[in-house]
Formats: sequence, structure tokens, C-alpha cells
Amino acid sequence: MSTAIETHELSKRYRRARALTECTVTVPEGRVCALIGPNGAGKTTLLRILAGLVRPTGGAALVLSGEPRQDPAFLAEIGFLGQEIPLYRRLTAEDHIVAGAHLNPRWDAAHARTRLAELRIPLDQRVGELSGGQRAQVALALTLAKRPRLLLLDEPFAALDPLARRNFLAALTTAVTDAAGLLTVVLSSHLVSDLERVCDHLILLAGSRVQLAGDIDTLLAQHRVAQQAEDVALEELILAYMGADAESAGTFLATAGEES
Amino acid sequence: MTWLVWRQYRAQAAIASALLAALAAAIIVDGWQIASRWHSALVGCAGNGGCLQQTALVNGVMSDLPYFALIVPAVLGMLWGAPLVASELEARTSDFAWTQSVTRTRWLAVKAGWLLLAAAACGGGVAALTTWWSGPVNAQSATAFTPGQFDTQGIVPIGYAVFAMALGIAAGTVARRALPAIAVVLGGFIALRLLIADVLRPHYLTAVTTYFNVTTTFTPPGQAWVLAQGGVSPTGQVVARGWGDLEPALPAACQRLLPGSPTAKNGGSLNSVFSCMQAHGWRGFVTYQPAGRYWPFQGIETGIYVLLAAALIAVAFVVVRRRDA
Repeated sequence: MSTAIETHELSKRYRRARALTECTVTVPEGRVCALIGPNGAGKTTLLRILAGLVRPTGGAALVLSGEPRQDPAFLAEIGFLGQEIPLYRRLTAEDHIVAGAHLNPRWDAAHARTRLAELRIPLDQRVGELSGGQRAQVALALTLAKRPRLLLLDEPFAALDPLARRNFLAALTTAVTDAAGLLTVVLSSHLVSDLERVCDHLILLAGSRVQLAGDIDTLLAQHRVAQQAEDVALEELILAYMGADAESAGTFLATAGEES
Repeated sequence: MTWLVWRQYRAQAAIASALLAALAAAIIVDGWQIASRWHSALVGCAGNGGCLQQTALVNGVMSDLPYFALIVPAVLGMLWGAPLVASELEARTSDFAWTQSVTRTRWLAVKAGWLLLAAAACGGGVAALTTWWSGPVNAQSATAFTPGQFDTQGIVPIGYAVFAMALGIAAGTVARRALPAIAVVLGGFIALRLLIADVLRPHYLTAVTTYFNVTTTFTPPGQAWVLAQGGVSPTGQVVARGWGDLEPALPAACQRLLPGSPTAKNGGSLNSVFSCMQAHGWRGFVTYQPAGRYWPFQGIETGIYVLLAAALIAVAFVVVRRRDA
């Protein structure tokens, strides 16, 4: 199986703080990878480096066997959806679909229109007038219409209510199934319960460092053996490895409890 | 990419077109009246220069119309240039635009390219109208080359428009926020225009100085730009601030002849002062840029602004390509 993402001691320093420190991870192609960690752990920085939006200050990243770069061929393979659901608020969903057709070599406009019609999201209404859930669905449909090989989603459901969250995850699961192993997804969130349902791979970040990374089933099995427990939930595993960053683990716990 | 630019700006383009059309209508209506007044004066005065000079051509407030050739470029730079990159960063739509299959370089090239073109077209359009409007005024007072008039006619407003747009784009890219960039455009445009018009423009080409007999007068032919005039003493002392300031520098013998001087015979006269100066070896001088340099100067000034715009756009490209989004 080939590798979708491979990073080696990837680091990003801003003037005052380290956003990412010596991050070494591998994500095989076709996986759905959960990127978990408290706020400020470096999730956004990692995703933005992989998308070519941010340059690392150290280490290297290989994305689909090349460095992230300003090159139409590379950009065509990447689907990125930022935390703020970046869409032009005064343009309609249809405007975005037409724009995408002008900006991308392979663009499945019909699929995006069908998707949004199924969800009863009006194509001719300004995106700024849609609800947060609808806007996220529009953004996801646009990202998928690009037919990317790697989908990078940065807390896409941070602002969504539980129903919208479920719809979003359903849409994502369908896309992964349709792609038949050719689509790799990295999805960041601090909602473990949501990620558990769709992800089979895990990267745990805390305090700008990787605390844990690998296949979820393998990690759970290893943890069971180590703890001599009969069954371990993903959440327990994660909390166990957050120890390296106790303070943020506390915050993380509180946040997780609040939002699930 | 062009489609997205058009879609993003079509509403603003419609508003801008309507406003520019209103401005054009005002200039045309007023210009028409000025032209007809000038024509009746030409007929009525029958070649009498003094009569032509006394004809009132421009109506009160309307004399400020040509300044739209400066206002339009500045406003376009503030309202379209400054937010071009900055508002995308503020709204995070840059994340959408920069993760399509188009490099940031191409994104900026197309977006900035169309807006610079729009600025040049608007600047050129307004300049064409104000140049036509100023025609009779130029003919009456021969001031097309003087500061104020030179700036609102010909092709220089195109340079100003391109520069203001580029300044807005670069400032917005560096500041990442539209509001400070708007302030930079306003301040930068005014400051640079003053600096170039006052300090650089008189020296684009070496000025011509003509010396003449002080008992006669000399006016440079056509629409020349007079930079300085006054008298030169036999020892080479230049008194350049007009005849009024000459007095203290004059030989005592000539000062005595000045009108109002208690020692002057028959109340004194300027002519006797000039004759006295002539006798003492004084000459008059005029330093000026000849009328024939009007278009070379227009070309040089436009070129300066276009080059500055190119440098600013280059800065914007470097920042957009290199800096983290």
C-alpha cells in the first residue's frame, strides 16, 4: 500500500511560539485519519502545511509523494476545508460551483449539484444567508467536486449542531466509500465520539508534539495488552496519552465532556 | 480565474460605472457651456487679447471638476486596491481560492491584472474628459503646463490611477487588513504626489533660462511652465522672487527712483528704475520649461508612476507567494 502522507520531524515556529515540533507521522493511502488534540496543539498548522498554505520551518513533508508546493498538478490533488468554512458570503453555491469549474482540471459539478439538491440547499441563495450546517455542506460538496486524492478537513463541524454534524459525517463516509480506497482523509477535531465512527487511523497531538499515531485497532490492541484490560474505548486511550501534557489534557477533558 | 474576478466585482463595477457616467455627464454639460462662452468671446472680442482675458469662462465650484482626475484614481486604489488581497485574508476566502488548482501567483496575476486595467481605463476616461473640459481655459490663460493643471490633464492621471491601485494592492497584502491599507493609499498617494510634483517634476529636463534687457519684457512662447523669474546683477547675484523683492538688492542710485521713495523726482516711475538698472548692468531672466516639453513631461511623469506601480506589484507577488496563508 502506498503512503499518502509522510512527515519527518516536521516543525513550525512562529515568532513567539512553537506550533509544531518534530512531527513524524505516516498515513497510508485510503485511510480516514483522525487528527486529535486540544486547541493550540498544532492540528491546524499540520493540516495547513500539508495543503501547502503554510511553510514548515524545519523537517520535511511528503504529500502524495511530493512536497506541498505551488503547482497546479499538486493543488488539484488536495481538497482543503478550513475551520472558518471559507466561502464568498455574497456569492451563491451555484457561483462557487461555476468558479470551481473554471479553477480545476477535473471538476464534478453535477455531483455537487445533486448532493446539494438532496440536502435541499438552495443553489441560488447567497452563501452568507445559509445556516452554518448548510454552509459546511456546500463547502464539503465543493471540496469533493474537485475529486481530490487527499482531503484535509480542519474542524469542519466545530460550528455545527448534532444533526448537521451527522449529515456532514454521512456525506463524508459516502465520499470515502465511493472513492474505493483512492481517497485519503485527514480530519481534525476534538470530538472523539464523532471521529470514532468514521476513522481508522489516528494522530494525537498535544503541546505541538505527536503523542500517539497509527492504526486505531492496532493502538487499541496494544493498549489493552499494556493495561491488561478487557476492553478499552478510544477516548480512554487518548486520555492516557495526553499525560505528557497534563494541563491541556484537563482542558481537553472538559471540552470533550461539554460538547459530546 | 477571470470568471471569478468578474463575479466578485460585477456589482461594484456596475456601481462604479453609474457614478463615472454621472461624473462624465457633469463634465460634459459644464464643458459644453465653457466652450460656448469661449466661442462667443472669440467672436465678440474680435482678436482683442485683453477682452479675451477678461471673459469669465469657469463657473464657481465647477472649476474643481478637473480634480476628479486625481480623486478617481485615489478612490479606486482605496476601495478596490486595498481590499484586493486583504479582504480575502480577513474573510479567509483565500483558503478557498488558494486551494483550487490555481497557483497563488496566477491568482494574483489575473486579479491584480484586471483591476490595474480597470484603474487605467477609469483614469484615462476621466483624464480625457477633464482634458477636453480644460481646452478653453488652456487657450485663455496658457496654463496647461503649470502645477494643478498639468496634473489633471493628458495621460498622467492614468499613471496616478495605476499607481494608486498598485499601492492599495501592495499595502493590503503586507498589512493583511483592508482598513490600514486604505489609510496607506490615502496618505501615500497624497504625499508622493506632492513630493514628485514639487521636487522632481521641475527637473525632468534641464530648465531653459532666457536673459533679457530689463527695460523690455519677455514671456516664454506658448504654454510654457515658468519656474522662476527676476533680475541678475552685474556681479551675478540672482534675485529670483519677482520684481517686488528686488528692491533691497538694487543699487542705491536706482532705489532712489522707486515710486514712493521720498527722493524720487515726480513721484518716481518703474520705467526709470528699469533704465537705471539697465545702466548699472542688470539683466532680467526667466527660467522655464518650454511649451514643447509638455508631452515629454507627461510621458516622464506617467513613466515614473507606472514604474513605482510595477515595483509595488512585485512586492505583492513576493509576499503572496512566500508568506504563510
